[in-house]
Amino acid sequence: MNTVLSRANSLFAFSLSVMAALTFGCFITTAFKNRSVPVQIQVSKVLLKNVDDFTGPRERSDLGFVTFDITADLQPIFDWNVKELFLYLSAEYSTRSNVLNQVVLWDKIVLRGENTKLNLRDMKSKYFFFDDGNGLKANKNITLTLSWNVVPNAGILPLVMGSGHVSLPFPESYETTKSY
Amino acid sequence: MLSMFKSIPTHMDYKGQKLAEQIFQGIILVSAVIGFIYGLIIEQFGWTVYIMLAGFTVSCLLTLPPWPMYRQNPLTWQPALPEAPVESREKPQENLKKKKHK
Repeated sequence: MNTVLSRANSLFAFSLSVMAALTFGCFITTAFKNRSVPVQIQVSKVLLKNVDDFTGPRERSDLGFVTFDITADLQPIFDWNVKELFLYLSAEYSTRSNVLNQVVLWDKIVLRGENTKLNLRDMKSKYFFFDDGNGLKANKNITLTLSWNVVPNAGILPLVMGSGHVSLPFPESYETTKSY
Repeated sequence: MLSMFKSIPTHMDYKGQKLAEQIFQGIILVSAVIGFIYGLIIEQFGWTVYIMLAGFTVSCLLTLPPWPMYRQNPLTWQPALPEAPVESREKPQENLKKKKHK
C-alpha cells in the first residue's frame, strides 16, 4: 500500500472479488426459478413423402412436412440472468425399430429485449423431418413439443420443456396432404 | 528536471495507507450493494456492473494518488546524533530496513 502500483493492485483485486460475489448473487437469485410457460402448438397441415435418403442407407425413407402455429408468451422467463432463449420444436414418436425417436424440426433464438410474445402462423419446419425407415407412415402418435435452453449471464444452462404439446396421427399413404 | 520530479511527494504514511484501504473498500462495497439492488429492480445485470465500475473509478481517483490527507501523521524520527561512532551507525540502518519490510 505504500506505492501507487501496490495500491492499484489491491484495489483491482478487491474489485474483482466483489464482482465475482455479485455475479454469484445474480445466479443465486434466479437459480430456483421455474422457467416453464404454457405453449400452444397447432398443426394445420401434414404432407408425407417417401423419398431417397441420401444421408442414410440409400433406401427410400419417410419424409414429413409439418405446417404449424405456435402461440406462447415468453415474458415470464426473462429476468436479469437471461441473455437469450434458444427455442426448438421437436417431434417425438416411436417406431417398430426404435422406442423413442426425436427429431428437431424448427428452432428460433429470442434475444433479450426482443418481442417475447410468440404468435407464429403457418410456419414451415426448418429441418428435414426424416425417419430412418418407414416409421412415419400411418404413425398414430407423433408428439410435437416446444423446448428451450435458457442462456444465462452466470450459472447453469437450464433445459426447459414448455407445458403444452400436440399429438397427431400421420397420413396413411404417401404424397397426400392431411389437414387438421 | 529530475530533481523537480523528486520533489513531488509520493509516499503515504502508515495511517494514510490504512485510511486509503478503508476508503476504497468502503466505496467499492457500497457501490456493489447499490448496483446489486438497482440491477435486481430494473432486471439489468449490466447496470450492476456499470455502477460497480463507477465505484472502482471513484476509489481509484481518491486513493491512488498520494493526496495530502494521507500524509498527516508523519513518522517522528530520532534527531540525528551529533557524533556518529561505528556502533551507533548500524542501528539506524537496521531501523530503516524494518520499515521497508512493512
